[in-house]
Amino acid sequence: MSERHMKLGAFLMAGGHHIAAWRHPDAHAPAGSDIDHFIHLARVAERGKFDMIFIEDAAAIRERNPDLASQAARSTAFEPLSLLAAIAVNTSHVGLVATASTSYTEPYGLARSFAALDQLSGGRAGWNLVTSASELEAENFAASGLRPHSQRYERAEEFADAALALWDSVEEDAYFPDGGETFADRSKLHAVHRHGKHFSVDGILESQRSPQGRPIMVQAGASDVGKDLAARTANVVFAASQTKAEAQAYYADVKSRLGKYGRSHDDLKVMPGISPIVGATEEEAKAKYRALQELIPDAVGVALLASYLSIRDLSAYPLDGPLPDMPPTNLIQSRQQLIVDLGKREVLSIRELARHFAGARGHWQVAGTPAQIADAMEDRFLDGAADGFNVMAPLFPSGLEDFVTLVVPELQRRGLFREEYEGRTLRANLGVSPPAKS
Amino acid sequence: MLLGYSLTPFGHDPDAWTKPRDRRRLGFDALLDQVAAAEAAGFDFVLLADRLSIRPADDLSSVAVPFEPTLLASALATRADGIGIIAAASAAQHEPYNLARRFASLDLVSKGRSGWLVLLDDGDAARGNEYVDVVTALWDSFEDDAFLYDKVEGRFFDPSKMHVAHHKGAHFSVRGPLNVNRSSQGRPVLTHLLEEGDEALAARTGELLLLQAGKVEGLVAIAARAIRSIEAAGRRRSDVRLVANVVPVVAGSPQAAGYKVTAPTLAGVRTIGTPEMIADRLHELATAADLDGFTILPPTLETGERFLADVVPELGRRGLIGGKRQVTLRDRLGLARPVHPAISGKEVSR
Repeated sequence: MSERHMKLGAFLMAGGHHIAAWRHPDAHAPAGSDIDHFIHLARVAERGKFDMIFIEDAAAIRERNPDLASQAARSTAFEPLSLLAAIAVNTSHVGLVATASTSYTEPYGLARSFAALDQLSGGRAGWNLVTSASELEAENFAASGLRPHSQRYERAEEFADAALALWDSVEEDAYFPDGGETFADRSKLHAVHRHGKHFSVDGILESQRSPQGRPIMVQAGASDVGKDLAARTANVVFAASQTKAEAQAYYADVKSRLGKYGRSHDDLKVMPGISPIVGATEEEAKAKYRALQELIPDAVGVALLASYLSIRDLSAYPLDGPLPDMPPTNLIQSRQQLIVDLGKREVLSIRELARHFAGARGHWQVAGTPAQIADAMEDRFLDGAADGFNVMAPLFPSGLEDFVTLVVPELQRRGLFREEYEGRTLRANLGVSPPAKS
Repeated sequence: MLLGYSLTPFGHDPDAWTKPRDRRRLGFDALLDQVAAAEAAGFDFVLLADRLSIRPADDLSSVAVPFEPTLLASALATRADGIGIIAAASAAQHEPYNLARRFASLDLVSKGRSGWLVLLDDGDAARGNEYVDVVTALWDSFEDDAFLYDKVEGRFFDPSKMHVAHHKGAHFSVRGPLNVNRSSQGRPVLTHLLEEGDEALAARTGELLLLQAGKVEGLVAIAARAIRSIEAAGRRRSDVRLVANVVPVVAGSPQAAGYKVTAPTLAGVRTIGTPEMIADRLHELATAADLDGFTILPPTLETGERFLADVVPELGRRGLIGGKRQVTLRDRLGLARPVHPAISGKEVSR
């Protein structure tokens, strides 16, 4: 049996994952709208043999207050599919995972877009399926309206099934039959006819079949229905876990759900986020981290914390006091609990929690030498907490360059990570099963 | 004279895929080769047409681009950096916020070289009008100089230069703002395809109008009607570019030009003959119908190559094309940069 290798994703974001990254002296402040910056980052990830790059999304500005929005680089961004289509034809091996919500799109258009990304990249596309929970997004699609959590997932389930069926509506070599009389070989086209509660889909996807069978399905479900949807349909699941115990519990929970859908343990890769701050010495890494933390305006950090708690405003509470009790939420429940637990466990004030979350938005942060970071990753990888990691560099490009130059070779020396890509498709590199023949 | 190139994998003739049979032509590299050739010949834009919003589809068409057009446009933009890229997208297939974002992103990826070919539902003019207005308002979410990138003060953009649309209409309710930066050409170029029928929306909002008619008389009539409508909408003829579809068939001699063209997806006036004859013909058509240029719909890739190799130099010799290459599509078309409504004094919301 070949040794088990960890999977690595590079979660890309403009100037960096740290909310104040764009203010850092080394930052290229307009990075978020600079296509050459993103192509460079994708090539760095590819040099580091990453399985994939990953782009998040929101179909709205993230902050209602214009003064606060105007202090955050995340207020504007590329639409992920356009961005990855551009990167696809400037890279050759790295997987390309775009976030897209099922709440305000239709299965046909979305399936067609991911099929295009898969064709443009030669089989490297992945779809991070999310549902939209924010009021600001709902207000951009007000005819649709914000739905309660359960209905969002019901729509997502039906959406995912429709997209999978559309991708399977075309067999390999359905077009251009050798010696055939017609452009399409109709025996290889299978029209979809689905009439569900949320969608009606009739027809054949206008695309050739994916070079990897189907695009890779990714999710970040942390609620109960989210974890079930991931266990049924996803190839990769992202997660936010602070402690090793939380990560292990999540890993075991998601993996235990695979059996009831007839899937094996290795068909779903669990990849929690890690925010690594790499230094030549531990002290240098910690100094890098402090330099970034000092750039966070308190108002911006607290507003971000409020948005993760799914409440409107925290500004009425003392900055150096504890979090108030939280009202029940219709929005993202799991993230709220994570923050409340952390605040209680480590006795953190609102300001401290805000700064802590601004750094990696609830993900695991590790500041240290390449060996220390590799130690931390190895520990969770070998101890039932992760199949790999979604790497969230606080500052781009230097944070990712440091990781590729310093940490990846350390992981390779330990036999924990690939030296070369296994194949040209994302599916081949992840080593997940091909879709069953339709 | 403006020149556009309508991209298909094999040509606009539905039988073109058989001559020769070459599967590779469905791939990105072969499509890029066509675009690069048009770019090198000095074309102003490439047009990625889509099926005219007809759903459900029952197969992939051999006479439309084989990828979703807006994403193909984004990919092409990074590999061909000297030509405008206009992609078709249907108002029936995208929510306005999603479409505005897709094109605003394409305009950043292409560094201001993109255009949106507006495809609407037939028979719902009111929805179409509102849709285009919502998209335009979202593209105006930020003024040209809104982004400050002031690291010391921690100010990414000037909040007084962000505009929230707060649109509430009969068909759409969209808060805004768009979460994408304004591009170097301000907004993607609004492009409409005109044939028979209602041109009021195109006359009111269009910047580039693609005229489609199978016969010269029809083309002249559509152009005259478009110009009247533009003026009736309170705009000037010079605010808009009129570009007609032509299907060129280039032959070494007048006798050899017997190539048969059957029912192309995008109809255009057929111009058949030697390079000199086609150049004459395009010049006459432009004069007769008051046109700014032509979109070439090659029936096969080989006829397209001959157009680039033989007709384009002839147009150059006559001084009909050439001159300084501009970067943005707007500049190439000689269109004014849109003045942000906040500057022009139109009422805007904050």
